[in-house]
Amino acid sequence: MTTSTGAKSAAETTDPGNWTNRLRGRVEGLVPPGQALPDRQPIYVASWIYVFGVLTLSALAVVILSGCVLAIGGVQWWHASSLGHYVNSVHLWSVELFFGFMVIHLWGKFWMAAWRGKRAMTWISGVLLFGISIGTSFTGFLSQTNFSAQWIAGEGKDGINSTGAGAFFNVLNPGQMLTWHVVLLPLVVVLIVLIHIIQVRRHGVVPPLDADLEG
Amino acid sequence: MRSLSIVAEGPGRYISWGVVQISVANLTIIVAMVILFVLALVVPFPSGHGEEADQERRQK
Amino acid sequence: MTRDRTQDSHDFPTRRYDLVKEFVIALVVVLVASLGLAAIFSSPDEKPITMSAWANADPNNLVTTAASELAGTTTSATYGAPYNANSDGQKLGPIPLQKWGGVRIPINSADLVLGPLSNTSGDPAVSSAVAAWKAAAPEQQTKWATDYVDAIGTAAADGEPATGASGDPAKVATGDYGPVPALSTGLLALAKTGGLEGALDSAGNFYGGDTTKSLLLLADGAYLEDQAVAQNLAGDQWGMMNEVGNAPGQPWMWLYTFWYQIKPFSTSDNADVQVWALMMLLTLLLMFLPFIPGLRTIPRWIPIHRLIWRNYYRRSAGRP
Repeated sequence: MTTSTGAKSAAETTDPGNWTNRLRGRVEGLVPPGQALPDRQPIYVASWIYVFGVLTLSALAVVILSGCVLAIGGVQWWHASSLGHYVNSVHLWSVELFFGFMVIHLWGKFWMAAWRGKRAMTWISGVLLFGISIGTSFTGFLSQTNFSAQWIAGEGKDGINSTGAGAFFNVLNPGQMLTWHVVLLPLVVVLIVLIHIIQVRRHGVVPPLDADLEG
Repeated sequence: MRSLSIVAEGPGRYISWGVVQISVANLTIIVAMVILFVLALVVPFPSGHGEEADQERRQK
Repeated sequence: MTRDRTQDSHDFPTRRYDLVKEFVIALVVVLVASLGLAAIFSSPDEKPITMSAWANADPNNLVTTAASELAGTTTSATYGAPYNANSDGQKLGPIPLQKWGGVRIPINSADLVLGPLSNTSGDPAVSSAVAAWKAAAPEQQTKWATDYVDAIGTAAADGEPATGASGDPAKVATGDYGPVPALSTGLLALAKTGGLEGALDSAGNFYGGDTTKSLLLLADGAYLEDQAVAQNLAGDQWGMMNEVGNAPGQPWMWLYTFWYQIKPFSTSDNADVQVWALMMLLTLLLMFLPFIPGLRTIPRWIPIHRLIWRNYYRRSAGRP
């Protein structure tokens, strides 16, 4: 906090050895001032292709929300309850929408060469998200406690065991797969989504190809 | 003897073409995505606020 | 590397825009779409295959599988890591990746049969069969079980003639199979009671929760796979993409499962690790695309971006 003259109060120092100061500096420096939640956008952002990022993010929100409702009832709830089965259906379809929007978002960003202008991390975190989302949905299918889960486990184990990872990640163990699906992987997804979005706000939306050669 | 109905649904509809085999459901999703992508590219986007707003330079 | 001449996006003219309102609208749209699709199309929920269902639908196969576990010839018995050291498993070229994982989920396939049967004390014939098996030397055990499996044989299929008793344990020729027939039919009887899964997965620890043993036994038999093949879920049916019935599956797995359909992967013993390695390579190429000359220039060569930014290009061209 500052005094009425704008000078720093005694409580706020610029001591670089102070961890809090350094963290505050890093957080404030992540995104240019006013760009975390801007109310203006470059004029070249004028195409429907741009909505697929926010559609993907919204789908992720519905996936997590419907997943939370499923978690209230537990793993077996949806087999016995018609409400539970409906919530499961919402979870499935929001996942299909999530992947559909994400891939269209990827297509758009590729044809825009959106990695230009120091945006490589945005692109890399996006591809990482695609891969981790596939893994997350895999653990979700393994948590269905039905015939599909049995078959996917039996088949999936061969792919994962062949790499040596099966010794640590046992797809035949629903208890382990569920905790990965509900706790570990969503945390990783949300963390990388944050990184991805901070990158977008930090660098701004990529300008058109050859825009710098004009005007 | 009581017959057990293990598999409640029959197999779905599939389309085959050479080595490719795809379910109607999956194919529908993929086709819908391609259509959506093309529409997103060609459908005009409303610019909303006219040329005057576009001339403003944002305060840094 | 070409110097990146992309201008700072903050140097361009701007227009008013409501970020939060756009997000809320998108959220409502996706929520309505999800609720609507769920109401119209629902989601599939096929009951799991139980040991009891397998026992009633295909008892001969369950008996044969039990005997094969004792003979050590099933898929799980000869799998290698992480279950046992009876095979080196798959290799990527010379690299034994599967073996490097180590035997960290030790499963003795014979115990898939002996474990549940040892705990059931109700049937004296089964108890004495278990005792007779445990008292015998390993070579004798293997001979009994292998001879019994051969005697059961297989039904004629795919142009191949029938062998042994054509897959019917009731018609097996007389021979010295020791306690193996009693053990195999004992497991069948236990499966029919519905208690086999519990005996495999929960015995001794009450809570279970880890279905490794049950799934391995089920996968060693033919019944689970037969149901999957009937639903187009097998690996050579693009099964990774599919779901039961008419439900959408995982269309995004199309490229991963594609490789399994073609040579050399379709006929390779190391297909799983090879396809995994290829997909990892392709993923890395996609991830580091910004740094790969040629690939990163494709958007220039195929100018779809001229559609996306047509308004901007038109306006810029008109400026003096």
